[in-house]
Amino acid sequence: MAAGGAGGNSGKTYSFKVVLLGEGCVGKTSLVLRYCENKFNDKHITTLQASFLTKKLNITGKRVNLAIWDTAGQERFHALGPIYYRDSNGAVLVYDITDEDSFQKVKNWVKELRKMLGNEICLCIVGNKIDLDKDRHVSVEEAESYAESVGAKHYHTSAKLNKGIEELFLDLCKRMMETAQAEERLKGNGASQSASSRRGVQIVDDEPQATPAGGCCSSG
Amino acid sequence: MSLICSSQRRGIHLDQSELLCKKGCGFYGNTAWQGLCSKCWREENQREKQKQIQEDWALAERLQREEEEAYASRHQKAQSQPTITPFSKFEERKTKEKSSKVNTVTKFFIPSTKTPPKKGIVYIPSPSSSSSRQSCVDSDHATREFIDFLKPLKSGREIFKQCRAFTESMVYKRDMGADELSECVQDFYQNLSERLQTQFKGSSDHVESVMDEVEKYMMTRLYKEVFCPETTDDEKKDLAIQKRIRALHWVTIEMLCVPVDEEIPEVSDSVVKAITDVIEMDSKRVPKDKLACITRCSKHIFNAIKVSKKEAASADDFLPTLIYIVLKANPPRLQSNIQYITRFCNPSRLMTGEDGYYFTNLCCAVAFIEKLDGQSLNLSSEEFELYMSGQASPHWPQASGASSCSPGSAALSQVHKRLDMLTGLGERQERVMEKARQLESDLIDWTDEVEQKVQSVLESFPPETQNPTATTASGTSAAPSAIDSDNVENELLPPPLQPQVFAG
Repeated sequence: MAAGGAGGNSGKTYSFKVVLLGEGCVGKTSLVLRYCENKFNDKHITTLQASFLTKKLNITGKRVNLAIWDTAGQERFHALGPIYYRDSNGAVLVYDITDEDSFQKVKNWVKELRKMLGNEICLCIVGNKIDLDKDRHVSVEEAESYAESVGAKHYHTSAKLNKGIEELFLDLCKRMMETAQAEERLKGNGASQSASSRRGVQIVDDEPQATPAGGCCSSG
Repeated sequence: MSLICSSQRRGIHLDQSELLCKKGCGFYGNTAWQGLCSKCWREENQREKQKQIQEDWALAERLQREEEEAYASRHQKAQSQPTITPFSKFEERKTKEKSSKVNTVTKFFIPSTKTPPKKGIVYIPSPSSSSSRQSCVDSDHATREFIDFLKPLKSGREIFKQCRAFTESMVYKRDMGADELSECVQDFYQNLSERLQTQFKGSSDHVESVMDEVEKYMMTRLYKEVFCPETTDDEKKDLAIQKRIRALHWVTIEMLCVPVDEEIPEVSDSVVKAITDVIEMDSKRVPKDKLACITRCSKHIFNAIKVSKKEAASADDFLPTLIYIVLKANPPRLQSNIQYITRFCNPSRLMTGEDGYYFTNLCCAVAFIEKLDGQSLNLSSEEFELYMSGQASPHWPQASGASSCSPGSAALSQVHKRLDMLTGLGERQERVMEKARQLESDLIDWTDEVEQKVQSVLESFPPETQNPTATTASGTSAAPSAIDSDNVENELLPPPLQPQVFAG
């Protein structure tokens, strides 16, 4: 993880993989399109796709390459989750504040992610569509206290009004950098990066539970 | 932080050199690298493995010579360039060493060897190239390209040496499990890229381009050994998924909720292109090229979705469409290809790159297809079972109903009509054949009957009365034969011989 060119004094370039999870129709795609291309329901579509997007950032002098992986949110594809979020550094879990069910789905995802990837993955729980606050069905207190209880950060966003999205990703990047740096410090003797972390994507066996955490960024 | 990093790298650098010399003489010095290390290694290995490789090399050598002649002109051109001199000199030495060895070997196997290999030509017979002439051409081509690429780099020679030594050593590891082989290759990639990073002072683009070439060179040469190896059950999995996809032929675009509208010509065009690309993946040797096929396929899918939906494709749209494409394409050796890419692709590409994303989606599509059931297609399990067993098909009722609205289904209904017509024709032909057979048996019966009659007549007029009744007897026997001759169709039947014998 945090692979990439290493410079002398200019610091290294971090490469992070972030998966976007959440039920269909919660606005995952709008969120990421707004963030990467600053577009919302654009009539003149120039973007071919919104499922894999990248963003280059510069945070406190460090270069960060962010790769955002959208995932299929339909229930029938739920079992494929582990194939997507393997080796990811961060996860953005999106729900629709007007849809109680979508929040329930987020809870399921959190449980699964913590089980599979442990605490190495930075979680963000995102309540989207705050422009529809009058139809809110998930209370702010409930969402925030839940997020805190699972060690995740909670954000409120609106892709339509472009609210809170910049902050969400910036915060996430900072947290992922901290995790990466802490991990580097732990790897005291500089042993080559664990073999398991490099192994790319593999077909997972039947049940998500059967697959052990990808061993991503094994802490010493 | 950067201090820690650089010290780590230095440590790794040393490890690296150690790894290099493990098989050889253990030299470290930069100047001492020239050939010594790999030479020692080769001699060592040669002694151990000579018996195994002698045959291979002799064969390779013979093939080599044929190839040589074909490429000779090209090489002479290349040699005249001044930039090649250091390399060709270096290679010359190698070739001399090798050819002297190989020639002695060759003498045992091929009594009439033609010209000895030309000096300065970069041909390194590898055991793998003996297996087929085509792969030999390909790997030589890859070697040449690799050398050309490395020429301007100051450490190019060393990189080449390392890669070649590693590639050759891999050939002797063919008995190892696929995962161990993969581990070896991945470790090699990682060590090399770390070294390159120190060398290029962190210019990751540069490192990446070198690594791409390294992968291309190595995997072109190793493809035969490590693609779908016998030690794994990749082949079995290939057949399983192929059978599975074939059994799922009835899955429709509606069941998967695929958001593409194939009535639009541009969309159906993109669909066809996507199918072609995903099938083409199998024909590539280098993992990166295979990934490029998947990426191209994905781009066509995005285009199809964009034209159909008039918005950028999200993963919610993309994955079902990819599944649909895979079902339609039934790409050859799908699992082998996926495993091969996973095992031998440069890891950075699979981890975060765009190619990696599409590859992951392909893996998802395959996993989905493997586990697909009625529920995931919004069908009851009874319906699913019926469709799977081929007792019912969702196409037929729909095709007749929707034939007017789409050109695809119109064509389909036409196909069905033709099929019906063909079935009708077949039935009629069957009936004609039946009648013909009946006629044949009737005729046989009839001749038998005639025979019997003749015989009974002959019996009722015993031979004692031969003389006075000779004329009448011949007359009676002549009568049916006269009827016979009138019957035109009788020509087709076997001649009724017996009566004639008796009559005579």
